[in-house]
Amino acid sequence: MATQIKSPERGLAEKLGALRWSLVLLLALIGGIGCAVLYSAGGGSAQPWAIRHGVRLLVGIGIMLLLAMGSVRFWFRWSYAIYAVTLLLLLAVEIMGEISKGAERWIDLGFMQLQPSELMKIALVLALARYFHSAWLEEVRNPLYLVPPLLLIALPAILVLKQPDLGTAVTLLAIGGIFLFLAGVRLWKFALAIGLGGAALPVIWGAMHGYQRRRVLTFLNPESDPLGSGYHIIQSKIALGSGGFWGKGYLQGTQAQLSFLPEKQTDFAFTMLAEETGFVGATVTLGLYFLALALALSVALRASHQFGRLAAMGIGMNFFLYIVINVAMVTGLIPVVGVPLPLISYGGTAMLTVMVGFGILLCIDVNAQAQIPRFPTEL
Amino acid sequence: MVLFASRDAGTRSLRRARLRLRVLMAVFVLAFFSVGLRLVDLTTGARATKPQVLSLRRGDGAPDIGRADILDRRGVTLATNLRVNSVIADPSRVNFPERAAHRLADALGLNEAALLARLKRGGRFAWIKRRISPREEALVKDLGLPGVALQPDEERVYPQKNLVSHVLGFTGDDNQGLAGIELAEQDRLVGGEAKGKGPLVLSIDVAVQNVVREATMKAFLRFHAKGACAIVFDTRTRAFLSLVSLPDFDPNRATREPSTNRQNRCSGHTYELGSLFKIFTTAFALDAGAASLFDRLDASQPLYIGRHPIHDDHAKFRWLTVPEAFAFSSNIGMVRLIQKVDDPERQKGFLRRLGLFGTSKVELPDTRPPLLPRRWPFITQATVAYGHGIAVSPVNYVEAVASLIDDGRFRPGTVLRRGLEDVPPGEPVVAAKTVRDMRWLLWLTTDRGTGDQARLDRYLTGGKTGTADKAVYGRGYVKGAVVASFVSVLPVDDPRYLVLVTLDEPQGDAATHGFRYGGWTAAPVAAEIIERVGPLLGLEPSPPEARARMEARLQVYPAMNGHSHETEEGLAAVRLDP
Repeated sequence: MATQIKSPERGLAEKLGALRWSLVLLLALIGGIGCAVLYSAGGGSAQPWAIRHGVRLLVGIGIMLLLAMGSVRFWFRWSYAIYAVTLLLLLAVEIMGEISKGAERWIDLGFMQLQPSELMKIALVLALARYFHSAWLEEVRNPLYLVPPLLLIALPAILVLKQPDLGTAVTLLAIGGIFLFLAGVRLWKFALAIGLGGAALPVIWGAMHGYQRRRVLTFLNPESDPLGSGYHIIQSKIALGSGGFWGKGYLQGTQAQLSFLPEKQTDFAFTMLAEETGFVGATVTLGLYFLALALALSVALRASHQFGRLAAMGIGMNFFLYIVINVAMVTGLIPVVGVPLPLISYGGTAMLTVMVGFGILLCIDVNAQAQIPRFPTEL
Repeated sequence: MVLFASRDAGTRSLRRARLRLRVLMAVFVLAFFSVGLRLVDLTTGARATKPQVLSLRRGDGAPDIGRADILDRRGVTLATNLRVNSVIADPSRVNFPERAAHRLADALGLNEAALLARLKRGGRFAWIKRRISPREEALVKDLGLPGVALQPDEERVYPQKNLVSHVLGFTGDDNQGLAGIELAEQDRLVGGEAKGKGPLVLSIDVAVQNVVREATMKAFLRFHAKGACAIVFDTRTRAFLSLVSLPDFDPNRATREPSTNRQNRCSGHTYELGSLFKIFTTAFALDAGAASLFDRLDASQPLYIGRHPIHDDHAKFRWLTVPEAFAFSSNIGMVRLIQKVDDPERQKGFLRRLGLFGTSKVELPDTRPPLLPRRWPFITQATVAYGHGIAVSPVNYVEAVASLIDDGRFRPGTVLRRGLEDVPPGEPVVAAKTVRDMRWLLWLTTDRGTGDQARLDRYLTGGKTGTADKAVYGRGYVKGAVVASFVSVLPVDDPRYLVLVTLDEPQGDAATHGFRYGGWTAAPVAAEIIERVGPLLGLEPSPPEARARMEARLQVYPAMNGHSHETEEGLAAVRLDP
């Protein structure tokens, strides 16, 4: 039986001392780059994006530090509840969309528009971490044991896909798949799932919206429609190419400044950065992201409890997927799916999601030695 | 018990979990690495995409500055640029859009509401007015509005106005070629000054073009024609010295002209050219060895192919020699000639070698492919023999005739200046003897046949008339509508130039006795062109010996005064091949 000894709670000062300030600084630095990029995207003006991005960044860091001071048991105890509430929010958005006869993805909170699908990324990570915390690895061999996590993954993924938001749906599925992989699900089961997915492709194609199909076709041959759906990616590649090694200089990117580059403040912010600061700037930024990711993974490795390991891993992966999908998208490696670049792209919910995620991550780090029993009833 | 088992299996599972964690991290690193590689590829690699013309076509890019000039073959400017300014705005910097719109609209004569909408739409760029005058520039500067600026721009100017309109074409708002050579040579012209390519030189000669346009315009107006095309073609370089299509337009204000004026009737329209095709039929039969100039053809009565009768317009109701059949433009004679070969494939092959089965390769964007018969039963061979059931553009036609009277080789024509050394070798079509015979037949037609209205004292010319019932797509032949044409060779003993005049639906008048025949409407135009253009091109008058050499081949009976149209005269045969 697992031990029932409660780990002593640390004091606030002790917690602040144990905080991984390097990670906090790194995230603030990336957010600062975001402000600079958005200042340039505004045509050398703090309005309308840079100033609001900066405010959100400060609020986000505050929330992150607040969460980091909390108790990891809180997240463990409430993980299922958080998941359930977020799922309800997703359902609410879906129903609101039905009523207003349009694609609704957000709930208007007044000061910001909340996208439940973004929060779901964190909620799913917490719920899955808790589930597999309680599961011994060999139990995973029992196929019945896989039913609950599969449901946990599938429900939000389907709801998000219906919105329709392909990028987030893919991210949720990827997070779920990586969890199952880490939990030790046999590889042939993955192969089977991928095979079934492949067989279902024609069905999925039939259910896709016209614009989604066009995006896939455009990805396969962007030059087929240079002024239509291929416009984004072609302009993005032109901007990247014209940036060259050193870039055209800050505020000097002609493709972005003259508005050839679409969505330069959101999904294509990285392109703008690369056009103005060149390969060097883009690589440095990617390097900072990589460093942040490495720190997140080291938190995962240091955690003594399975829940912390898995949750930190999931949060890191979420961050990783944002970056890789976005950069792969703007460089034309994958279709345009609409995933922002965390901390740099303009957008409230994405910033909030990343900050809440890292808040939990820091909290896990501070409480790395906390003990969490295998079964919640023992708490 | 379960516990022990699980502990035991646990170590193995744990190992696997660690392994998978490593695999996952490797995937992370790999993903970052591949995205990084892609960045290297896009930013510094050979595939680095440079900004393209793509942006230009959208109309919101930087205008094409420094477009190359276009000159005629003597260096006269046909198209050039004037440095002007355009007014642009950065709407996000305009402080009081209402006030700015009001003042700008006032100064530049613009619609205030539309201007305000543009300023309020946001964004970082808006055109206010393209290509302003110096006076307007001063007004804008005086206003001193924040967010409003002047941008260097260019205005494409065509100083010759209508004169060379169809060859030049015109440019759009951003100086991109939209028609004519401006469109066809867009890549050559864009940024031509910056690339140091210098001006683009055409084969067109403005002095010649001016004469041709004036003469053609007179006939075009006098005969109330729907359209006209006139061409002067250098048979040695195969280059167009003049290409006039009427009605024409002023390229300086092209988009405000009716679109029918912008159609190039020399390259973009196809016509059934009627008797002008008899040049091809005769050359074909002679070159194939199926007939000689000594042969006689039965034209004593209309010819029936099935139930389809073939008449002659200038009927003689007797047997004709081959030169007579050509000079009097006998349809029956031509059908008799084609009957002698009676091989549709050879006939088609001959026309194909003359370039008449494909679109002309001339550097103009609006060229039309010929309209060809779908099937070639004998009736088709017969109608094609006298120029019906097949429609070609005048440009195609001139290229084909030039190959028959120059050196028997086909070469595509050009509107760009080229020297004799740049002329391609071409493909052989007919033998040198056929070329000599065709020159003589053309001389005969102007000297004693249907083309006598184009006979001149100064130059020895040859030519062929044509009057074709006009076919309109989907409607068949239009009653009473004809296409009257005349093709002329100058000088016929040693050809240097071809002149083609085509009038679309001319109406006869009192002076032509109501006739609309090419000999009455188009031939005099060609005559005037030759009279005036010959000296311009430095052509010496033909020596008397040239005429003597032509007449030496001729045996005439009875020797009558054969200068008027009504006079009948028999041309027995060629005396001897000199």
